[in-house]
Amino acid sequence: MQYQSQMVAKPYFIAAIGLFTAQILFGLIMGLQYVMGDFLFPEIPFNVARMVHTNLLIVWLLFGFMGASYYLVPEESESELFSPKLALALFWIFLVAGALTIIGYLAVPYATLAKITGNDLLPTMGREFLEQPTITKLGIVVVALGFLFNIAMTVLKGRKTTITLVLLLGLTGLAVFFLFSFYNPSNLVLDKMFWWWVVHLWVEGVWELILGAILAFVLIKTTGVDREVIEKWLYVIIAMTLITGILGTGHHYYWIGTPEYWQIIGSVFSAMEPIPFFMMTVFAFNMVNQRRREHPNKAAVLWALGTAVMAFLGAGVWGFIHTLSPVNYYTHGSQITAAHGHMAFYGAYVMIVLTIISYAMPMMRGRAAANSNKSQVMEMWSFWLMTVSMVFITLFLTAAGILQVYMQRIGGDAAQSFMVVQEKITLFYWLREAAGLVFLIGLIVYIMSFFVGGEEQTETA
Amino acid sequence: MKKENHGLLRPCTLIWLLLLALTVATYVAAELGLQGQGLVMGVLTIALIKGQLVADWFMGLRRVGSFWRPVLSGYLLIVGTFIAVAFLLPQG
Amino acid sequence: MTNPIPETTNTKSPPGDLAIWVFILAELSVFGALFVVYAFARRYNVELFDHYQLTLDRTAGLINTVTLITSSYFVVRAVAAIKRGNSPTCSRWLSAAILLGVLFLVVKGMEYQHHFSQGIGLSTNLFYTFYIALTFFHFMHVIMGMVILTVVAIKAHRGGYSAEEHTGVETGASYWHMVDLVWLILFPLIYVMH
Repeated sequence: MQYQSQMVAKPYFIAAIGLFTAQILFGLIMGLQYVMGDFLFPEIPFNVARMVHTNLLIVWLLFGFMGASYYLVPEESESELFSPKLALALFWIFLVAGALTIIGYLAVPYATLAKITGNDLLPTMGREFLEQPTITKLGIVVVALGFLFNIAMTVLKGRKTTITLVLLLGLTGLAVFFLFSFYNPSNLVLDKMFWWWVVHLWVEGVWELILGAILAFVLIKTTGVDREVIEKWLYVIIAMTLITGILGTGHHYYWIGTPEYWQIIGSVFSAMEPIPFFMMTVFAFNMVNQRRREHPNKAAVLWALGTAVMAFLGAGVWGFIHTLSPVNYYTHGSQITAAHGHMAFYGAYVMIVLTIISYAMPMMRGRAAANSNKSQVMEMWSFWLMTVSMVFITLFLTAAGILQVYMQRIGGDAAQSFMVVQEKITLFYWLREAAGLVFLIGLIVYIMSFFVGGEEQTETA
Repeated sequence: MKKENHGLLRPCTLIWLLLLALTVATYVAAELGLQGQGLVMGVLTIALIKGQLVADWFMGLRRVGSFWRPVLSGYLLIVGTFIAVAFLLPQG
Repeated sequence: MTNPIPETTNTKSPPGDLAIWVFILAELSVFGALFVVYAFARRYNVELFDHYQLTLDRTAGLINTVTLITSSYFVVRAVAAIKRGNSPTCSRWLSAAILLGVLFLVVKGMEYQHHFSQGIGLSTNLFYTFYIALTFFHFMHVIMGMVILTVVAIKAHRGGYSAEEHTGVETGASYWHMVDLVWLILFPLIYVMH
């Protein structure tokens, strides 16, 4: 670690891992509620568990992205962070606001929460992923603006690299699109359309830029390949991401009342969205094959390669499966969507955050370059446990989804009702829950790996 | 600097003139009111030939090893085939 | 016939940066998908497509095709110039190519102006959806290509390339030829074939 202010990333990463754990626990609760409907009722109803599961995901990924930015921007800019104090203050504001929101979800009925927080003054609540009370949303805006200011000032006063520029573009896009969470038109079609602009233009647009920047940073550091080569790839990947992603978001507009042309535009462009992910896979493996040094942090390299592969599978392949409008006509909102959501979020965004944590954390904890061999072996075990169980979660949900679509939506008069079908695919929900437990074990192993000592690995360039 | 001798015209100039001629041919075929399968086949073939000329002579792929030229030719062939199928095969 | 350029040497990699070729391939795939989807959409709406195709200005399409081919040719000359180490000439050919790009945008803009003034939009019917979406997507690529060529032309003007090192020129040229190549399919497909 070259700059003292990079240390502010540490609390962000720790919070991210903590919230990640909570997210998985709520995921398991919810998974069980699929098969045991009254589990933990009335304390934690399904809708609340779902809300907490998805909100925690977004929040901890944001913590991860912020930590990643605070870590890599000073190093890239070759300058201390503009204001480490601001970064720490924002950390506490964000954490407390996040915790209060989650407590609010769990402690009082949602309608009461809306009332207490004055939702009627500026109604923004009640939409999926955007359930946060309006004051929390305002808090997020403050945190995001302060964060962007801090990062931008650091970039401006130091060396400007492609990585920091791409990262800054991604983070700015993240903040700008979040503003649409305040736009709540009474026209349902418009409401739905702009709703997609928040989380979904993130994940298939600007977040991919953040992902690309972090991946490029870790690859430069661990492979020693020329910055020029890596930046060139970054350029073409983000260009392709923007070309396909922005119009590809049209695949969400098929059935919400928007003009018919979205069927074509959405289908064609979203069908091309796997391309940038595929380029990312080729890029990552190429760089690692051309490496000019053996970085002692093998775990970080494994996470980086894993990100490239799993992002392509989860976001690319599993997205493609149901993106064409004639297919989506049947699969919309089925368990196939859930399968895609799980693997895409894990493969692209969870794994990239774990990649940068894996790379940065040893140094922030005072090690030269990497953890001890013992600790790394454990971390790699956790990689495989989590990744393989996520593959199984995806496969089980896909199987459930195919059966669901087949029994519930195809077959005309023979089609069966939602509840009847849910009953018939219980087996897959049980299997998914089992895979989820393995995921939790993987996560526990991951956390334990931080507490394994041993002789640390040093640079052997 | 090397002194070059191009004969009357450089190869790329010839290709440029050829491309212009093929373009005009496409246009004239349409203006003459030709239509149906003959027009589709002719115009599509001309388009693919033009694409290959651009790839070979403008993009310089004729002198590039055994990967990129086949990729571009394959691309033209696949897209061309799909278009031909969509335009020419009888429905039903 | 002194010192003929050794035309027969085979190289493994295409002119320009390898990354731009990966990008070109990706871009070609997107356009290819759009072309194929257009063709099949027409297959099920032959009369509609044939009818509204007649409202397009084929002569404008011809002018634009000639413009792009010529522009591409100028870029070939620019690459040839820099291979001889002649930066000023390279820069001049590139500028001429960019000017033709402007001409393309003007002609296309007039076509759009004509259609839009009649109240035609993406939603008018399936043919116009395709016509506008496809040509506008290409339109944006022309702009993108012009930006790249401008950057290259300025650097060439300042003597930033040489006979030995001119990857940047070839990279920009390859992208521009791709924009041309795509139009060479787009023009007959949308303006002519019926």
